[in-house]
Amino acid sequence: MILNLERFQAHSQPRWRSLESLLGLLESRPDRRLNPVEAQQLQDLYAQTAADLNRVTHGALAPELRQYLERLVARSYAELNYAPPSRSEMWKPRSWLRIFSAFPESFRRQSRYFALAVLITILGCMLGGLAVHYDPASVDVLLPADYLRNPEQRVHEEEQGKGRHLQSAQTEAAFSAQLIRHNIQVALLAAALGVTFGIGTALLLFENGVLLGAVAVNYTQRGFGLFVTAWLLPHGVFEIPSILIAGQAGFYLARLLLRRREDRDVRQTMREWLVLVAGLAMMLVWAGIMEAFFSQHHAPVLPYGFKVAIAVAELVLLTLYLLLTGRRRISAGLLSSVPGEK
Amino acid sequence: MIDAQPARASTSVELTIATPEGVLFRLPLAGPASRLCAMLLDIVIVLGTVNGVGLLVYWIFAKAPGFGVMVITLAQFAIGFAYSALLEGLWNGQTIGKRLFHLRVIDQTGLPLRIEQAWVRNLMRVFDALPFAYLAGGISVLSSPLTQRFGDRVAGTLVVREAPLALPAEQFWTRQKYNSFMEYPTIAIHLRRTATPELASLIQDALRRRNELAPYARREIYRELATYLQIEISPFPDELVERLSDEQYLINASAVLFGDQRPLRGQGAQLSPKNPIRGLGD
Repeated sequence: MILNLERFQAHSQPRWRSLESLLGLLESRPDRRLNPVEAQQLQDLYAQTAADLNRVTHGALAPELRQYLERLVARSYAELNYAPPSRSEMWKPRSWLRIFSAFPESFRRQSRYFALAVLITILGCMLGGLAVHYDPASVDVLLPADYLRNPEQRVHEEEQGKGRHLQSAQTEAAFSAQLIRHNIQVALLAAALGVTFGIGTALLLFENGVLLGAVAVNYTQRGFGLFVTAWLLPHGVFEIPSILIAGQAGFYLARLLLRRREDRDVRQTMREWLVLVAGLAMMLVWAGIMEAFFSQHHAPVLPYGFKVAIAVAELVLLTLYLLLTGRRRISAGLLSSVPGEK
Repeated sequence: MIDAQPARASTSVELTIATPEGVLFRLPLAGPASRLCAMLLDIVIVLGTVNGVGLLVYWIFAKAPGFGVMVITLAQFAIGFAYSALLEGLWNGQTIGKRLFHLRVIDQTGLPLRIEQAWVRNLMRVFDALPFAYLAGGISVLSSPLTQRFGDRVAGTLVVREAPLALPAEQFWTRQKYNSFMEYPTIAIHLRRTATPELASLIQDALRRRNELAPYARREIYRELATYLQIEISPFPDELVERLSDEQYLINASAVLFGDQRPLRGQGAQLSPKNPIRGLGD
């Protein structure tokens, strides 16, 4: 206990106070930017206060003073080393619109995880399809009750318009919102389950695949192939890829967690995950709208051929979007060796 | 009389940050209870907002309730996710609940959290909330050395406590005119050297909270502390101690520990024939 606390405190108090007021000023400023004079002042006060903290830590028994100085040092450290994005930059529409090109770019960068998600889903589809093909009774086990088990009845009801309450645009709107919410929740869960090192994501995708395969084979076997295609595809061409992209995000997260130690650029990698999630949410909004307003209308109203054609057109557009958007900009960026800057 | 040395129970976990400049500082981490309280408050706020928005939308779409339901459903969903993420991103790691409970989310390197981190840790709630009532997140908080839930682990963030802190007031008992302990410099120095920081702050706290303690409790606590010091650490001569109350004993000891006055080593050792060196910690 070498330090004379009383004298020390009396002597250093003015500079602690001025650091405190400088920090208060900076933290209340919306963009929290420093001008050169303030930066110099903050740096000096920070260095002195850090030295004071060191003296108190090693030379005195003053827990409260130590806590106070630690807080000051922590706040100065944060102010000196981090500048949040400025508000004006954040609210520019252009920075928000960038998501539309960032999403396909991220999708292509992480395409191997997408391939893995596709593979697992296909395995699930094959299992579900083969099970129903060779053992029609397994439908009872594989598909949830009252949902898709009884194709004849279901097709009949749909075509007769038993669910005609869906006809009003109002109910369809409410229905679409529920679909969007539910689908985004499921997809987000698939993406977040990456935290189980991808096991949860894989299980979810596999289960989804089994359901898909079982339904497809079940309906096709009974001769409703066209009906089910026209019923599910107009929204399915967005819904199924978005679940696959959720799986992609999940596997990407899993890989990220497994190699966290070496890969310290967490910021960039997390942005990638976020962009994938935001992109699939946009896709699901479209899928929800299609499912409520379009898919539920059947043959007498909308011919099946027309519905399938719309679905194919959607799929082509989606594929083009995911594969081509932003590609030219990247190559241009590489040429000028300033990637991503404008 | 107490048997063991009094030690302050650790009520919090801390994270020590070493900056590149070689500065070390500690950040107190938030406990699960305060985080839960802040979260419940935030949930109440979100529910209130959502219902307010719902009423408004319902009124606007009175003629078209179906579209009203659509807007409400989507707005509820968006508000539920965006509330924490936006507020934490814009308000330097605080939501309303966290602000009231003096909590803040920061990057685990001690810097403010980034907007992406705020989004990631809040979107990960879908996992932390599994299977019900934030069980996964709670287990993660309790098992993590940094009290992180899964969202925090993924986003590389943690929640710290930020109680309002003021510069401690100067302590009156370090400024006494005369401290009889200084007559026995060897023992005083021994006290200064052997008292642990925990013991020292215990004495300090006991004195500072003098008026908060009931008279009986105060008497007992002061007696136990003084007896412990006298027997285990600094055996000042009986003829001195007999004249001091327990409180005065602690004030003197505190002044020795924290105060300005230095024991006059050479002078005291020569002048004081009653200096009981034999009593020192052997």
